[in-house]
Amino acid sequence: MGKPNDLVQGTLDLLILKTVALEPKHGWAIAKRIEQISSNVLQVQQGSLYPALNRLERKGWIKAKWAETETGREAKFYSLTASGKVQLEKEAANWARLSSAINVILQES
Amino acid sequence: MDRMNALWQRLRALFGREKFSHDLDREIQFHLDQQIAESIAAGLSPDQARIAARKLFGNHTATKEDAWEAWGWGWLEHLLQDIRFALRQLKKSPGFTTTAVLTLALGIGANAAIFTLVDAVLMKNLPVSDPKTLVKIGNTNDCCINSGVLNDGNYSLFSTEFFDRLRKNASEFEDIAAIQAGFRFEPLVARRAATQETPRSAVGEFVSENYFRTFGLKPAAGRLFLDSDGGKGAPSIAVMSYQQWRNLYNRDSSVIGSTFWINTKAVTVVGVAPQGFYGDRISAMPPDFYFPLQSMVTLQGSTFINDPDTNWLYLIGRVKPGVSTNALQAKVDAILRQTLTETKTYSSEKYKKYLDRIHTVLVPGGTGIQELRDQYETNLHLLMAASALVLLIACANIANLLLVRGMRRKVELSIRSAIGAGRGRIVRQLLTESVVLSLLGGIAGLALAYFGAQLLLTLAFPDATKLPIQAQPSLPVIGFAFGLSLLTGILFGIAPAWIAAKTEPAEALRTGIRGTATGATVLQQALVVTQAALSLVLLVGAGLFSQSLEKLRSADLKLDSRNRYIAHISPQAAGFKTTELEPLYRSIQQQLHQLPGVKNVGLSTYTPLEDNNISNGVQIQGQSETDESASVIRVSPEYFDSVGTKVLAGRGIQIRDTSSAPPVAVVNESFVKGFFPKGENPIGRRFGSPGRESSGAFEIVGVVNDTAYTSARWKDHRMYFIANLQRPAFTKVPVEEDLSLYAGAIVLETQSPVSNLEELTRKALSQINPNLAVLKFQTFDRQIADNFNDDRMLARLTQLFGSLALVLAAIGLYGVTAYTVARRTSEIGIRIALGAQRGGVLAMVLRGAMSQTLIGLAIGIPVVLLCVRFVESQLYEIKGVDFRVMLVAVASLAIASAFAGLIPARRAVSTDPAQILTAE
Repeated sequence: MGKPNDLVQGTLDLLILKTVALEPKHGWAIAKRIEQISSNVLQVQQGSLYPALNRLERKGWIKAKWAETETGREAKFYSLTASGKVQLEKEAANWARLSSAINVILQES
Repeated sequence: MDRMNALWQRLRALFGREKFSHDLDREIQFHLDQQIAESIAAGLSPDQARIAARKLFGNHTATKEDAWEAWGWGWLEHLLQDIRFALRQLKKSPGFTTTAVLTLALGIGANAAIFTLVDAVLMKNLPVSDPKTLVKIGNTNDCCINSGVLNDGNYSLFSTEFFDRLRKNASEFEDIAAIQAGFRFEPLVARRAATQETPRSAVGEFVSENYFRTFGLKPAAGRLFLDSDGGKGAPSIAVMSYQQWRNLYNRDSSVIGSTFWINTKAVTVVGVAPQGFYGDRISAMPPDFYFPLQSMVTLQGSTFINDPDTNWLYLIGRVKPGVSTNALQAKVDAILRQTLTETKTYSSEKYKKYLDRIHTVLVPGGTGIQELRDQYETNLHLLMAASALVLLIACANIANLLLVRGMRRKVELSIRSAIGAGRGRIVRQLLTESVVLSLLGGIAGLALAYFGAQLLLTLAFPDATKLPIQAQPSLPVIGFAFGLSLLTGILFGIAPAWIAAKTEPAEALRTGIRGTATGATVLQQALVVTQAALSLVLLVGAGLFSQSLEKLRSADLKLDSRNRYIAHISPQAAGFKTTELEPLYRSIQQQLHQLPGVKNVGLSTYTPLEDNNISNGVQIQGQSETDESASVIRVSPEYFDSVGTKVLAGRGIQIRDTSSAPPVAVVNESFVKGFFPKGENPIGRRFGSPGRESSGAFEIVGVVNDTAYTSARWKDHRMYFIANLQRPAFTKVPVEEDLSLYAGAIVLETQSPVSNLEELTRKALSQINPNLAVLKFQTFDRQIADNFNDDRMLARLTQLFGSLALVLAAIGLYGVTAYTVARRTSEIGIRIALGAQRGGVLAMVLRGAMSQTLIGLAIGIPVVLLCVRFVESQLYEIKGVDFRVMLVAVASLAIASAFAGLIPARRAVSTDPAQILTAE
């Protein structure tokens, strides 16, 4: 398999939204979760994670709150907002359309 | 909600950057700690784990930067950075910065000052409620009391009859107010009853009783007019202006309800007009009192006001919402035509044919009666054009300065570009710099405009202390100034920025500052040439207006103003009946002759070169009837001597021409030329108003020279002079109502200047009758000089703009020449080292500078010759460009550019060649 794939531009936002949709998570957990679920196929560039979180927060799709982790340390937890939910559905639908279109083309040839 | 919250977070990121940074650090630290813990659990040593975590995370600072920029404030930070850097750069070259800011300040300041005046004089609304819905009926400012037909049929002055009919029939108007057109020509004498006040001259305006309601005004004290105040038999009342109330009575509330003697008649002041209201027009003599129209009969004996054939009113109405202007226009025209059809004038067979032409034009009325507009519009537009030219020259200078600077900084920019600054960033930096520069210029320009507008106002209205014009730049003017400076900055910042950004860094670094040996670019030279051409236009303009003023001043006005003084009076306002004038005039002449040094005492309706004119239709007995007219003045026996008019043939008006003697007239040369065939002797002939009987009214007994009246520009002004109190036997107007018998001025001629003559005259007149106040006292010279105020303003301002243009053009030329010399320093050094004469080098540099001026002249001269006809109407007896004016303009430009070229040229040759060549 070799090197884990870098994320396609713009999909990081979608993945973050999806990851925090279930429950509030801090940055490291979000990165870990994405890697785990994709069985290490997708690796989050840790440097670009935080700017992305800030960008999503600016757009009002996620909100942040400092809270204690299970180990008792303070961490910043991100959770999905109402408008973030709408955005997630929109982007997920978009992605589904795009990937199925690409699949169709690939199967044709 | 989410969005509001997000915005709040965004502002927190901007203003709480410290905290933001700290939180982010904590967050990242947590992330790293988690990563380290995981690695240690996987078997790495703590040190290895730490290094691995850092490597995995990447550039900590860059991440922080990116995270912060995610909040969208990056541009602001860059902007502030750019501005700080720009200010630092500008501080580093104070010479450049000072020149550029001053240049811009002069250009913008001149324009903002003129624009302030234009705004105040031509565009400002009256301080009334909702000025937009006001409509003025009539688009000209005909003044003041007219009768007879109008050749073009375009009415702006109306009769009381038309006003009444319009009010009754045009329901499209919420209200329509009538305003006496020429109130400033009939000052009143006022005194508060039961006080020690001496009678004083006051300005009163007669208006319809709904005047204040039409303008939507509330009284400052007491009440304004009621409908019941408008009737013919209503008691005499007045509303006082706020200015008068404050300045003379210190806002004393007992003024309201008190009695005033106005023209010796008792009038009750019922209230005070609102503060800031200066009447319906901008005037140097705003009303002190407002009276209902009908009281004009009681106070001024003006019986004409109810005559349907006399037009004397301006009309301003407030239109109801939703009324179509076209329909209203048609309706007003129809009512006007109907009203006039029924007048005596248009009933006569002769004038019926003019009926079809009768119309009026509805115009926006929010600015009130535009008396000043007529007087100043052309001049102000001319000055706007001149100041725009100055700005253009200033912009060319800025462009040149920025270009030169851009090229000087080529090396610096190349280095920045070579070490990784993006092209966009460099362009943005340069643009920021020029915008900052132009905004600095804009601020300085605004300060200049503030004083400039003050200066302009004193130049334009030298004696007006009561003028309700604010010389402070208004908000639109401030916006205009900054918009202009911003535009200049962006426009002229783009070119140098573009040129600088285009350069290949390696190329620029290799060749250094000597990159191209050709010196200034074509663009720069073109700018200098344009400047030279434009400043020539302004210089010639200044020359023409100065020449015109000189010509006006030295024009032969056919009078003598040495040791002459003019006192304006109003016997009518002092309460004299027309039947009491003969003894009054006698005692005025006797009393004033008692004053020390008085040689001649003239009494007349009005005097030379004052803003007044009375004209009548004229028919020479024995000739056919025409539409011709001539101006008429009633004068006393000593009048001609007192103003210096010469009797050329026959005799002047003499003591024997009393009211009971046969009526005689003295006519001027233009009258003779206009009404008699060449060679015919006018003396002994008779003339009068058109009509079989009336044309025999006066016998011509003498001819005088053409002393200038009304305006120095009025050529071929036909005039006749009759004795103060003579009336032809068949005159229809009864003597009691013949207001033309009132003299308006006394001319005093003394042996030598008398400094306290005004005081003496006032005392002598008040001894005759305490109400005989002096309305205005001036030397004759002063009265004449007042005529040239506008011309003086034009001449001075064009001179000012011309010199500004010259200085700016010289700076521009200096800049380009200095730049060329700097680039050619080593070349010049080599030339001198090889034995070139310093004089030759000097000439070479100068030739380069002068050739641009010469091209500028070659373009400018034809432009000037083509454009001069646009200003000819503003000039006095000047057609085309005078050779001397052109010569002076060309010479000053040539000398200025020689100096501008000489300074850098001398610097070039004075340097030691060895030094220059080793400097590399």
